[in-house]
Amino acid sequence: MKEPYDVIIVGSGAGGGMSAYTLTKAGLKVLMLEAGRHYDPLTETPMFNVPAEAPLRGTSTTDKPFGFYDATIDGGWQVPNEPYTIAEGSDPFMWWRPRMLGGRTNHWGRISLRFGPLDFKPQSRDGLGQDWPITYDELAPWYDKVERLIGVTGRAQGLLNTPDSPEGCLLPPPEPRAFEYFVSKGYESLGIPVAAMHGAILTKPLNGRAACFYATACGRGCSIRANFQSTTVLLPPAMDTGNLEIRANALVYQVDLDRTGKAKGVTFVDRVTGEHHSVTARVVVLAAGACESARILLNSKSAAFPDGLCNTHGMVGRYLMDSVGASFSAQFPALEGLPPTNDDGMGLGHIYVPWWGYEKQARKALPFPRGYHIEMGGGRGMPSMGLGGQFSRSDTLSVGDALRDEARRMYGSYIGFACRGEMIPNDDCYCDLDPEVKDKWGIPVLRFHWKWSEHETNQAAHAIQTFLAVTDKLGGKPVPGYQTDGRKAISRGGEIIHEVGTVRMGHSETDSVVDAYGQSWAVKNLFVTDGAVLVSSPDKNPTLSILALAWRSSDHLATLAKRGEL
Amino acid sequence: MSEITPYLPKVDRRTTLAWLGGAVSVGLVGGATSLPGKADAAPNPAVPPPTAGGYGTDPNLVHPAAAPWPRIMTPAQLQTTALICDFILPASADAPAATALGVPDFLDEWISAPYREQVSDRPVILGGLQWVEDEAQRRFGADLFHAAAADRAALLMGLTSRPTDPAMAAPYQFFRKFRSLTIGAYYTTKPGFKDIGYIGNVALSHYPGPSDAVKVALDSALKKLGI
Repeated sequence: MKEPYDVIIVGSGAGGGMSAYTLTKAGLKVLMLEAGRHYDPLTETPMFNVPAEAPLRGTSTTDKPFGFYDATIDGGWQVPNEPYTIAEGSDPFMWWRPRMLGGRTNHWGRISLRFGPLDFKPQSRDGLGQDWPITYDELAPWYDKVERLIGVTGRAQGLLNTPDSPEGCLLPPPEPRAFEYFVSKGYESLGIPVAAMHGAILTKPLNGRAACFYATACGRGCSIRANFQSTTVLLPPAMDTGNLEIRANALVYQVDLDRTGKAKGVTFVDRVTGEHHSVTARVVVLAAGACESARILLNSKSAAFPDGLCNTHGMVGRYLMDSVGASFSAQFPALEGLPPTNDDGMGLGHIYVPWWGYEKQARKALPFPRGYHIEMGGGRGMPSMGLGGQFSRSDTLSVGDALRDEARRMYGSYIGFACRGEMIPNDDCYCDLDPEVKDKWGIPVLRFHWKWSEHETNQAAHAIQTFLAVTDKLGGKPVPGYQTDGRKAISRGGEIIHEVGTVRMGHSETDSVVDAYGQSWAVKNLFVTDGAVLVSSPDKNPTLSILALAWRSSDHLATLAKRGEL
Repeated sequence: MSEITPYLPKVDRRTTLAWLGGAVSVGLVGGATSLPGKADAAPNPAVPPPTAGGYGTDPNLVHPAAAPWPRIMTPAQLQTTALICDFILPASADAPAATALGVPDFLDEWISAPYREQVSDRPVILGGLQWVEDEAQRRFGADLFHAAAADRAALLMGLTSRPTDPAMAAPYQFFRKFRSLTIGAYYTTKPGFKDIGYIGNVALSHYPGPSDAVKVALDSALKKLGI
């Protein structure tokens, strides 16, 4: 393909992958620039590998922070040669980045929850945050399309602000595991409804992809394409159109403008050769990940935009959000010594607990305005080095046959609980450019500013109390070390890897950087289709919504392009 | 333990090569019991940078290479390790001993690794091995290998309960850590899977959920809990 391309897409994850899928199918000639290397899940996924085959039994290290087999390449909390900084006086912030085709869709948790009607109108609901320029009803058809394309499990449950999908959208959820059956009864006895997991995993064949065979953790990726990865679901059909060219190791740092103020392309550095290149296109789509997309805009300085592209009102990098996290685990005597069961299942929970406190919050009966959902892990998962700690909790340490008996009895009797909650955007949480620090290629890096408010820390404290209540109901014993003070129980900023909101969409250029289609107010042929555009960050994990928004935006982009309006 | 034989490392050729490559640096380090922490300046103190000397940030996941770092245990330390491993998990009627699964070699790999967690375990394990041998000499006038089986068992059994004597706190913590690593190393092997009752990692045409027997057991437990 020749320059100028119709569209340059920066990034190949959920937003970039979906943009490429949509735009190439619409007949547009697309160049995708990915900062990491090429990656092929069909040949690079360690299916069925056991810990004993890996160094240190696959234990997490600084080289592979989520474990040896995790589908993250050249990244994690640090990317070699690409630092970031934390502002003085800020609370900690962590930024997870891979450097591989498909980005974080290769290893993500695959929990795929629709945002609900209330989630799009947070300010109207309780005066906090900002309303989206779209409603749930406007995005719903795009959720339908995404679910039918990628495959998502679940079932209609009729719960408030937890949308049911139309008939035919969802795949049947698998049976709950033994511990999930058990813990469900505990929640239900407390009046808390439990729902089938919405997971981006095929329980039936779909669109030429095989169904899950319930082995190999999804975080490794999937060579049979039974779960959703951009690299297995979006990029292959985009390539099949003949309209997609992918360039790997292309670290984009600047959007280039022509004399009329329109985007004419981007400039990138090749991570391998260190050479800088500029490429041209009629339209530029940023989908590098919320923070990286903001960084590109902030680094794109010109006379017209001395503080960074689209940043005339100082909103690029603002409204940075992450999900609230708090975790807890407990041991349950009732689960000891069960007959062995195969608890592998899907690579995520088969059930979850949607937020159940909407009415209480409407009555102002809770000391925090927004909700959280609960995720659980447990059962007889593939043993890991962590097992050693589970059998070391008493002062007397068994050995020999007594140890073997203890191991068999206790294995699978622990349940881990985690909340994922909504954060309200605040003035203390944002990213800007560090005035001093640059990456290996001399490009200014991001500096993060972070501080949770009481809206979040009170929520985390409530989650811990919920975990304690259900544990108590089920006769469990909390593992010591948990925090009841929400300020201590809460995760670090960025730690849940749901960072969104740095280039938010809105009603006008005074309240946002892009419009309801991710189209920049300031530069008409520049779009953003990743999590940066999110206006709020409900408890629901963001990827499904990023996919739906990216599809909707790209469809709009294609329409405008065909009309010659870009 | 009656008859025991010296521990022979269970290694494949790749590991042996890595090991031989490391022999030189073992001599240089002189059986170091600690390594200085990595001095890389991380702009963000919340998260550590990748570690030099490790397997890198893009290892082959499908066919993992042997750990590239040299192993630091001396043959004597490895022998002591083997004796303690088999004190913790000797052969049972149905399952092999820890040494039969190469657990001592794994502990050597673990404490030799350049990563933060392993670097911090290193002095705990090597210091503990030294304590055990010193104690065997003091009490029995022999090293652990040559001590009478009953003496060896008595010495190690003395490390299995939280001590009241402050002088025993460090040996107890050593044993606690050593045992935890041994358990992890043992049950992450296929014979370990079998012994503990892990029956997954097999392809299924559908996910069956818990059997009726399991549901009956759970319902009965829930009833006792008043649910």
